[in-house]
Amino acid sequence: MPTVTIDNQVYEFENGDVLLQFCSDIGIEVPHFCYHPAMSAPANCRQCLVKIGTPARNRATGEPEMNEDGTPVINFMPKLQPSCAIAITDGMVVHTQRSDDIVEEGQVDNLELLLINHPLDCPICDQAGQCPLQNQAYKFGPEGSRFEFQKVHKPKRIQLGPHVVLDAERCINCTRCTRFTSEITETHQLSIHNRGDKNYPITAPGVEFDDPYSMNVCDLCPVGALTEDYFRFRARVWEMSKTPGISTYGSKGINVDYWVKDNEVLRITPRQNLDVNEYWMPDAARLIYTTFNEDRPAGPEMLFRDGGRGPADWRQAYDAAAFLLKGVEGSETFLLGSALATVEDNYLLMQLAEHLGAPAPQYLSHVEPGSGDDWLITDDRAPNAQGCERLGMQELDADLLKSRLASGELKVLYILQDDPVGMGVLSEADLDGVQVILHHTHTTNETLPFANVALPIAMAVETIGTYVNADGRAQRLRPAKATRHMHRPQMMEMGLSRLDRQGTPFDRWHDESNKIDCQPGWAAIPEIAERLGRKMRWDGPASIMDELAQTDAFAGATHKAMGFTGVPLEDVGEAV
Amino acid sequence: MASSSPEPLYVPGEEPARHFGPDDLVWTAEEQQTIDGWVAQYPTADGAVMKVLWLAQEKFAWLPAEVIEFVADTLDLPRAKVFGVATFYTQYYKQEMGKWVLDVCTCFSCQLCGGYDILHYLEDQLGIKKGETTQDGMFSIQEVECLGACGSAPMLQVTNGPYVHNLTPAKCDTLLANLREGKLPGFESVTLPQDEAELDGNRRSDAEVIEQYVTPPVSATIE
Repeated sequence: MPTVTIDNQVYEFENGDVLLQFCSDIGIEVPHFCYHPAMSAPANCRQCLVKIGTPARNRATGEPEMNEDGTPVINFMPKLQPSCAIAITDGMVVHTQRSDDIVEEGQVDNLELLLINHPLDCPICDQAGQCPLQNQAYKFGPEGSRFEFQKVHKPKRIQLGPHVVLDAERCINCTRCTRFTSEITETHQLSIHNRGDKNYPITAPGVEFDDPYSMNVCDLCPVGALTEDYFRFRARVWEMSKTPGISTYGSKGINVDYWVKDNEVLRITPRQNLDVNEYWMPDAARLIYTTFNEDRPAGPEMLFRDGGRGPADWRQAYDAAAFLLKGVEGSETFLLGSALATVEDNYLLMQLAEHLGAPAPQYLSHVEPGSGDDWLITDDRAPNAQGCERLGMQELDADLLKSRLASGELKVLYILQDDPVGMGVLSEADLDGVQVILHHTHTTNETLPFANVALPIAMAVETIGTYVNADGRAQRLRPAKATRHMHRPQMMEMGLSRLDRQGTPFDRWHDESNKIDCQPGWAAIPEIAERLGRKMRWDGPASIMDELAQTDAFAGATHKAMGFTGVPLEDVGEAV
Repeated sequence: MASSSPEPLYVPGEEPARHFGPDDLVWTAEEQQTIDGWVAQYPTADGAVMKVLWLAQEKFAWLPAEVIEFVADTLDLPRAKVFGVATFYTQYYKQEMGKWVLDVCTCFSCQLCGGYDILHYLEDQLGIKKGETTQDGMFSIQEVECLGACGSAPMLQVTNGPYVHNLTPAKCDTLLANLREGKLPGFESVTLPQDEAELDGNRRSDAEVIEQYVTPPVSATIE
């Protein structure tokens, strides 16, 4: 294999490797702003400068020239080169800032140049704390500023589109945003306007930056020039915990980070997974962050014997649910699974159905034909339909269910995390005379008024579990925010903020507010099953998946194996 | 001294004011043929964008939003891209300009030789600031970057046309007086010292020299 010498150490590389990416991959940090692995490299920030040399060859014979001691003669390029635009060649010798003072000085000077007109508003900038310019200025930059003059002023607070705000003064013109719109989404909405020290990215006259993926430019922006409108001035990044999770938006299984402060999800950003969403996510998948905070239930509710409806405690609610199920034949109950719930919860529901002798649970499809874009927005609005299919669940036959309800054949309907009334599948008349047990996530659930027992269930940001995306990839959910009742597995996997890790008992950062009184399905369903005489043997979602991973449909998909990027599942029929 | 942040030229999403109607925004058959010729010269239509913008500016006198869009649509290019090109060059006028546009260079060499003095002198004489146009629509002043005549700094360019070299306040006064009478300055040849003899002091064959810039003797300069 061809070799390259970086900082006096020899590495093997593959032809076509780009120097900057190669350095990153082997753990050598070279500062950079404009380079992004998914896009072209214009080399216009000039921050990744390194010294590059190639072995000298005799012009006449083509033979490599050797020094007297037998080492090859290296011809260094007269000036520093941007490593993002250099394809490595065999025998190349590279000096980075780690081994060469000239490179180090060059990078310092370049950063000083970039910082000349950059405002010193880090204390009020949303990017502070996650800012490549800030971080790299600390690591590789000059000690202070020598610039004693008025900085150039550019437009601030420009609403580029519905979701993105531009602060042109902070822009260092790396052109990542304009390349994103021209190379990734191909809407060509952004372009660098003006020249010299007055340039910044903006749309054409009269055009709004309404790309459905517009907020990705805020993640790409290496400074605070482009920020998400919904998140501006909401929280400092170091006050939040960042937990890796899976988006509940659509069946693509977009890998995300959930940013939480005071038990509220404040922000959702994409997490790199080259097999699923690469680095991107649609705007709509970020804006659903409110669904995790708003209209959440305040504990279980039930219909009491005197006909009154009101809050119950969990034990009462479990007892009531078990009582309803115990009072009827298995064939008189129907359990509705959910494409919104995890594989684990649906599996437990199937076990419960089996114990009751009820017909196999089915799930409600959330497919809205034509609403997808063949990329990250899918027609299916639910994240786990594939997981239900793989468990052997079938799509709900609504007409059959309606006729069975109408004939009085069904007495109890058990609904896991879904809203058949709100979806228009069932109506008030259908549920007349039927006892409904409902695991709901929101008070806006339109089936809730008909529920005899309502048990709030934890959402994807509060539970542990598995979603299988439309392409058959099993991916893990981790608890990002605390609920009123924390079980040990959740405690173990909670994302931590900087204060959680570094805070002292004297810092008052703990906040008990906004904790939702809900239970994960894998905690609630066994409680009911136990009251019906079935002791469920799993001690948490991880052990459920350990068992499912033995089956063909979920082969190998243990929590451990799924890690942060998931496990692609074999394409099998629908069977466990 | 803190100044408030400037506004962008066009607010995103806000419909820009229109100056030309759809009836104006058409190429003649002749112009279209020229454009097609330019497009054919390059691998992609991007290459022709500057020439077509120039043609549009000659036709419409300046480049408001609708003309930039018209050019983009002619070449089937993204509007933002053409807008980016049009705003990069000060030679493309994004605002309605006066009859004479004075592009005063304040880049390094001119700045060192008093480019800002000339700029401010002209501003005082005309009673306008850079980027503005006089009430009578006669003069506009722009501050521009290097025009490539550092040897005869400070200098300015009149309406994308002749250069005026080695400016002094007196020379500015003459220039303004001549322009008011509609007289453009003639071509002033500034050759490189080594070319003076060879080209007979004129590096252009299409213009007559009105004044010949003579390089001072080396010894005199050193002293």
